[in-house]
Amino acid sequence: MAGPQTLARRQAPRDRAWMASGAAVLLGVVAAVVLPQVLELFALINATVFVSMAVLALSLALVWGFGGILCFGQAAFFGLGGYAYAVAALNFSDTTFAVPVALLVATAAAAVLGYIMFFGRISDVYVGVITLTVTLILFNFANSTAGDEWRIGAAPLGGFNGIPSTPLLNVPGEPGAGLAPEAIFRIAVIALAICYAIARLVLRSRFGRVVVAIKENELRAELLGYDVRLYKLGVFSIGGCMAGLAGVLFANCVFVSPTMFSLSYSAQVIIWVMVGGLGTLVGPILGCILLQMLTTWAGTLRDINPNVILGVILMAVVLAVPRGLLPSGIALLARFRRGPPR
Amino acid sequence: MTPLLETRAVSMRFGGVLAVDQVSLRVDEGELRCLIGPNGAGKSTFFKCLTGQLKPSGGRIFWRGRDITGADSFAIARLGIGIKTQVPALFDGLTVRESVVLALRRTHREAAAQARAMATLERLAIAGLAERQVGLLAHGERQLVELAMVVAPEPELIILDEPTAGMSAEETARTGTLIRELNRRHAVIVVEHDMQFIRSIARIVTVFHHGRVLMEDVVERVLADPRVRDVYLGKSAEPAGAPVPCHNTAPA
Repeated sequence: MAGPQTLARRQAPRDRAWMASGAAVLLGVVAAVVLPQVLELFALINATVFVSMAVLALSLALVWGFGGILCFGQAAFFGLGGYAYAVAALNFSDTTFAVPVALLVATAAAAVLGYIMFFGRISDVYVGVITLTVTLILFNFANSTAGDEWRIGAAPLGGFNGIPSTPLLNVPGEPGAGLAPEAIFRIAVIALAICYAIARLVLRSRFGRVVVAIKENELRAELLGYDVRLYKLGVFSIGGCMAGLAGVLFANCVFVSPTMFSLSYSAQVIIWVMVGGLGTLVGPILGCILLQMLTTWAGTLRDINPNVILGVILMAVVLAVPRGLLPSGIALLARFRRGPPR
Repeated sequence: MTPLLETRAVSMRFGGVLAVDQVSLRVDEGELRCLIGPNGAGKSTFFKCLTGQLKPSGGRIFWRGRDITGADSFAIARLGIGIKTQVPALFDGLTVRESVVLALRRTHREAAAQARAMATLERLAIAGLAERQVGLLAHGERQLVELAMVVAPEPELIILDEPTAGMSAEETARTGTLIRELNRRHAVIVVEHDMQFIRSIARIVTVFHHGRVLMEDVVERVLADPRVRDVYLGKSAEPAGAPVPCHNTAPA
């Protein structure tokens, strides 16, 4: 059985992950070069928002679609990343260093929350309840930080208004030389590509395969000697870190405010993942960008509430393509290639 | 000699129900032990105490003389105990080969795990299923896939909970042969209620009834014992008409 052919086939899926990662980074670089040339400034800033949201969608695609952890509070790490960046950036002269601080805060928050949940053997629907509750507590807390006493160093938390004075990223080593929107867009697109590549490679690794196995059957993974709590904690923390990065990008194209912790963001991420296709990485990215473009377009209509359009489209997707756009699209393509079913 | 696995007065209480009542058992290296008893006798609860899925409310469990009472399932698995549950616990979205590789990947590097996985599939005569998705297999095939995942890491002890549940007569016979073959390399504990199957594989049999050990002896004497026949026919304490699994109760 172990001829050269079988060996080649065994290697194939692993090489595919490398190829997909390389292709994603290449695509990111191309988009980073081309799009700023063709898009107008307003569209470019909008695109940056979409891309930062896509990073958020990707983080949940990993945690929920592959880890089987229905985290209803991905927005918590998104907001914490954003706030940590804003606070650190206001306190540091060089905002470059605010990025690792933000990632660290988001990851640590995910790790602590994950530790409590997974080592407390809390599972399934309760994870959803707890993560959502934590997000809403953060939402209320951030809203109640209006007074002057709520400041961390030089950074006022600003309550309901958030921190509109969030400094943008600067050229590393040159404090004060804030980056132009074009540069922020480039950073966001390349960050998305790198996050995708990292997710692909994580899933390819032994760690990632065990994570998927736990989603498939937790008891069996445990009976094979894997400490499922550690693996869940690991993937949850990686997801938290990515969501934190999304928050940093968001802070650089909008600004941080309590809405980052809001129910509408928590729910939207879930919808993006569902519409794009649970169990895929590209699907949620596409779902996120498509739905955001749709929301933006619907917002320009005068005679009809955009939420009505969105609601109708969501219902249509859930009823017509319950597996999500990407998996259904692939299945459709495969059927065309094979010809009609016999 | 220290037994491989030993329980001392293990009990499991659920509220007011004592499902397992002071069960003491010892299984030696290389042994093939059957735990039998009618439905509700406490076999499966006892099984879950052994595998760490339940923490016993009383008594102690020892592995090679080491106290492992209350250890987590993954820690018990790491000692070298392979566990097959009654309802197959499988990775439905993965292929058969991927599943068995994962069973080995904790202790082996990728290439070694791949090679040993294929060897295991060949040993169980299911190498042809290697690239099939587990979720799409027939019930009997799924049982074999789970068995492959259990035996692949060469555990010292294999615990099987009702391995023939839902199998056809032919598959049951094949499983019997397989268990005897496994027993050449591993100690095996089989929890079963199918008497005919027990007779085809067993040497020493422990009979459970009402959470206690009713008797423990070689299979011939157990099957000839009037108490065992009563338990299985529902004469002593089981209410009449209770589901009593007995294809062929005892030798005439």
